[in-house]
Amino acid sequence: MQKKILKFKLNGELMELLVSPSDTLVDVVRDQLGLTGTKKGCGKGECGACTVIMNGQSVNSCIVPAMQAMDAEVETIEGIGTSDKMHPLQETFIDYGAIQCGFCTPGMIMSAKALLDGNLSPSRLQIKETIAGNICRCTGYVKIEQAVLAAADKLKATKDK
Amino acid sequence: MKKDYTVVGKNIRKLDALEKAMGAATFTTDIKLPGMLYGKVLRSPYPHARIVKIDTSKAEALPGVKAVATYLNTPRVKFNTSATSTFTIPPLQPVEDQYIFDSVVRYVGDEVAAVAATSKKVAEEALELIEVEYELLPTVFDPLEAMKEDAPSLHHCEAGKNVPGEKIHIEMGDIELGFAEADNVFEHTFKLPVQKQAQMETQAAVAQVSVDGKVTVWSTTQTPHPSRRILATIFGLPYSKVRVLNPPYIGGGFGVRIGLSAKAEPIALALAMLAKQPVKVVYDRKEDFIASDTRHSGYVTVKTGVKKDGTFTARKIVGILNSGAYCSWSAEAPGVLGAMGLSIYYCPNQMYDGHSVYTNTTPAGAMRGFGNPQGMFAVDSQVDIIAEALRMDPMEIRRKNIMRPGLPWVLPYPCQSSGLEECMDLGAKAIVWDQRGKQNQDRDTIRRGIGMAIGTHVSNAWPFCGDYSNAYVTVQQDGSIQVASGVPDMGTGTITTLSQMAAEVMGIAFEQVGITFADTESTPFEIGSHASRTCYASGTAVVAAAQDAKKQVFEYAANMLEVTPGELDIENGIIYSTLTQEKSISLGQVAMEAHLRGQQFIGVGRIIPQNAPPYLAHFAEVEVDTETGKVRVTKMVAAHDVGKAIHPLIVEGQLEGGLAMGIGYALSEEIKYDDRGRQLNNGFHKYMLPTAMDIPELEAIIVEAEDPTGPFGAKGVGETGLVATAAAIANAVYDAIGIRFFEIPLTEERVYRALKECK
Ligand code: FES
Ligand code: FES
Repeated sequence: MQKKILKFKLNGELMELLVSPSDTLVDVVRDQLGLTGTKKGCGKGECGACTVIMNGQSVNSCIVPAMQAMDAEVETIEGIGTSDKMHPLQETFIDYGAIQCGFCTPGMIMSAKALLDGNLSPSRLQIKETIAGNICRCTGYVKIEQAVLAAADKLKATKDK
Repeated sequence: MKKDYTVVGKNIRKLDALEKAMGAATFTTDIKLPGMLYGKVLRSPYPHARIVKIDTSKAEALPGVKAVATYLNTPRVKFNTSATSTFTIPPLQPVEDQYIFDSVVRYVGDEVAAVAATSKKVAEEALELIEVEYELLPTVFDPLEAMKEDAPSLHHCEAGKNVPGEKIHIEMGDIELGFAEADNVFEHTFKLPVQKQAQMETQAAVAQVSVDGKVTVWSTTQTPHPSRRILATIFGLPYSKVRVLNPPYIGGGFGVRIGLSAKAEPIALALAMLAKQPVKVVYDRKEDFIASDTRHSGYVTVKTGVKKDGTFTARKIVGILNSGAYCSWSAEAPGVLGAMGLSIYYCPNQMYDGHSVYTNTTPAGAMRGFGNPQGMFAVDSQVDIIAEALRMDPMEIRRKNIMRPGLPWVLPYPCQSSGLEECMDLGAKAIVWDQRGKQNQDRDTIRRGIGMAIGTHVSNAWPFCGDYSNAYVTVQQDGSIQVASGVPDMGTGTITTLSQMAAEVMGIAFEQVGITFADTESTPFEIGSHASRTCYASGTAVVAAAQDAKKQVFEYAANMLEVTPGELDIENGIIYSTLTQEKSISLGQVAMEAHLRGQQFIGVGRIIPQNAPPYLAHFAEVEVDTETGKVRVTKMVAAHDVGKAIHPLIVEGQLEGGLAMGIGYALSEEIKYDDRGRQLNNGFHKYMLPTAMDIPELEAIIVEAEDPTGPFGAKGVGETGLVATAAAIANAVYDAIGIRFFEIPLTEERVYRALKECK
C-alpha cells in the first residue's frame, strides 16, 4: 500500500511523517512517534485506554485512521502538563488514589480533560457518562470520579481568581 | 513496636503515581529495542485435535519473516504456566502438562505456531501462510461430563478421570456425628460462571538473547523469580543466566500472570533464540480472553447440619471446578475454596472434598479470590436460607457461628485476630440494616432489598503451596536507604507500602527510601505478587531486613557515641541515646564514617511467613425491576478487618476495586462457549465488565484488628474485596423479590425468567 504524508499538530508541535493508509492514530503516536503514554487495551474502540483529544473531542485513537488526523490538533497525556506544572487532573488523580496499575490512567485523564475543557461544573452523572467508555479494572471508579470532581473545582478556582 | 508511627498509616504520595499520571511509566507493551521483531501466534480453531501435518515453508519465505516456531523446533520440555509448579511442596508433585507448542491442541486458542517478523503486519500475514492439517478428536466441555468413563481423556491422570493433581480432602471432627446431632440438615448445589481477569494490559513479553547466550525477558509477570525458574527449565539454562523483570510496571494482573503471562514469555524467547534478534509478543484482547487463564467455573455443594437455635453442627462442602485444557492452578484452587469456605464459621465437624476436571475450554487459573468467591457464594447464600428457615436474622445466625480467635479450624495455623464482628456491626449500621424488609409497598414493581455476607481469606499462599520472601535493605553513604525486593507492583501500591515499612523501621523520612523491585538480577528470591501476600509476606521480609540493618547501624553508632546499642533509638534520621540527651548523631554521619573505614550496613531479611485471616462483611442494597429483571446495586458497604492499614488510601483502593469486580461477578460477567468450544464473550463488547455507570455508592470501612504475625499488624487485603460480594448481592436480591438464585451472574435474562416462573 502506498504510504502518504500526514501532517498534524501533536501536543502543539507540528509533525510530518509517512504513514500507511491502514495505520491507526494510536499506532502512529505510539510506534512511530514514540509517545507511549497513550495505551492500547483492545484496539477495537471498546476500552478507552487509547483516548486522545483531537480538535477538542476525545476519541479512541485505535479506531481513528491516522490520515484522519490530517491538519488536526491532537493532544495526548504527554502534552497536558509537566512534572513541575501538572494538569490539575494529573494532580488530583495522584492525590485521590485514582491510579492503581495506571494503564487506564492516560485515557481516563484525556476523557476527563475533554469534559472539563468545556464544562467546569460537571455533575457526578456527567462524569460517569464521560468515563463510561474508559474501562478501569483496578479502582472501581470511585476515586477516579472524586479526582475529576476535585480537578473541576481546582480549575474553577484558578479561573475565578 | 511503638504505636505512634511516623510513616506507616499515612497516605503518602505513591511512588509510581507521578510517572503514571504523566504517561511516563513504562509497561512491557511500551518496550522497543533495537532490531526488535514482532511475534504473533497461530492458534487452534478446534477444541481438540491432532496436528497431522504442519507446513511453514510459505510463511518462512515471506519477506520480513525471521523465524517460525512450532512443536518441531522448540524445546520438548513440559511445564505448568503457573508459579505453583515452582513451589509445590513434596510429596505433592507439580502438574506439568503443557509444552510451548504440542502436536495436540486441546482448546480453541491453543498455541499451534508462532512467527517473528519485522512488523506486526508481516507477522500476521505469515500466520495465514502456515498450512496445518488437523485430525479432530472428541471433546468435552463440562467438568461433570468430563469425569465420566466414556469422556475423552485430555491428559494422563493418576487421581481420576481428567483430574489434574490430587483430589483434596479436608476433615475435622466427625462429620456423621455432626449431622446426627443436627435438628435440620440443608443441602444445596450452586453453579459458578467463568469470570475473566480482564486486566487492562494484555499478556506481553519481550525476550532478548545476548551474543553470549544470556537471556533477558521483560514481561507482565506477577512473579519474576518463579517465572525465571520456569523459563530456565524449559530452555535448559542456569537460572543465573536468565533475567526476568517487569519494566517496571504491569497493567494489572488479578492473578492472571502468577507465573508466566499465559505463554508470552516462552514464545517470545523461543522466537528470539531462533531469530537471534529480540522479539516482542503482545497478545491482542481476543487472545487474552481465549488463551489466557480465567477464573474457575464449576459446582459447589454445601450440606449443613443446624440445631434449632441456629448453631452449626456439621458442614460438608464439595467443589468440582472446571480446569479447562491445562492444569495451571487447578490443583490448588479447589483447596482454597474448601479451606476458606469451612473456616469462616466455627463448626466442630467439617469435611471438604474437591478437585478440578480437565475440559476442552480455556485453562482456568488464578483470579483474585482464588476459589474463595465461588465457595462463599454457596456457603453464604445457604446461611441465609437456613436463617430464614429458622426465622432468624441473617446477622444473628452469623454472629452465633462465626469463627473466633482461639477456636479450632481446619487450617494449620491459628486464628489470632478477628475484627469480623466489628465489621458486621459497622457495615450493618452503614447500610441501615434495620430497614431490611421494610422498603417495599405491595404494588411496587421496583423492589428493594438488603443483603449481607461475610468472608475471610489468606495473607499468603502457605500452606496451599510454598511461600517465603527475602529482601535487602542497604544503607547508603549519605544515610538514605535502598530496598531490594523481587516483588512486582501491579498497581497494588506494593512498592510504596514496602518503602513505608522500611522508613518506619529505620526511623528515616519516606523520601530517603529508594526501592528496586521485580527484577531477578538485582533482588534475592521472592515469590511475588499473589495470595494477598505482598504487604504481609514481602513486607515482613523488608521489615526484617531493615531491622537487621538498623542493628548494625546501632552497634556502629554505639561505638562512636560510647554508649550501648540497647539504649539507642532513631527518629527522623537522628540516632540518639534514650538515656543521655546530648549523645546523638545522624544516620548519614554514621554511614559515611563506616564507609570511610570500609564498611556498609547491609540488612538481609529472610522470612517464612506465618499466615493470618483478614475478615470482611459486605452489605448490598439492590433494586430489582420486576418488569425487566434488571438488578441494580444501589449501595455497597464493605467493612474489612485488614489488620493494619499501612496506607489507608491504597487499602480503600484495593477494596473498591475488588467490590467492582465482585459486582461484575454477581451481575454481568460470564464467558460462555458455543457447542464447538468457542468463547462467545471474547472481547469487551461481549463480556460485560462494570463501567463507571454500573458502580453504586461504595463505602469501604477499615477495621484494624492487628495480627501479631503481620508487619505492624497488617493482614492481606488484595483479594478480600470480592470474596463475599456476590453472596451479599444475591441475598439482597432474595430480600427484594423472594427468589433464591443458585447460579450467577444475575443477568437481566436470568432474573426475568425466574420472575416469570414464579408468577
Ligand atoms: S485500545 Fe482503543 S478503545 Fe481500547
Ligand atoms: S488503574 Fe488499572 S485499569 Fe485503571
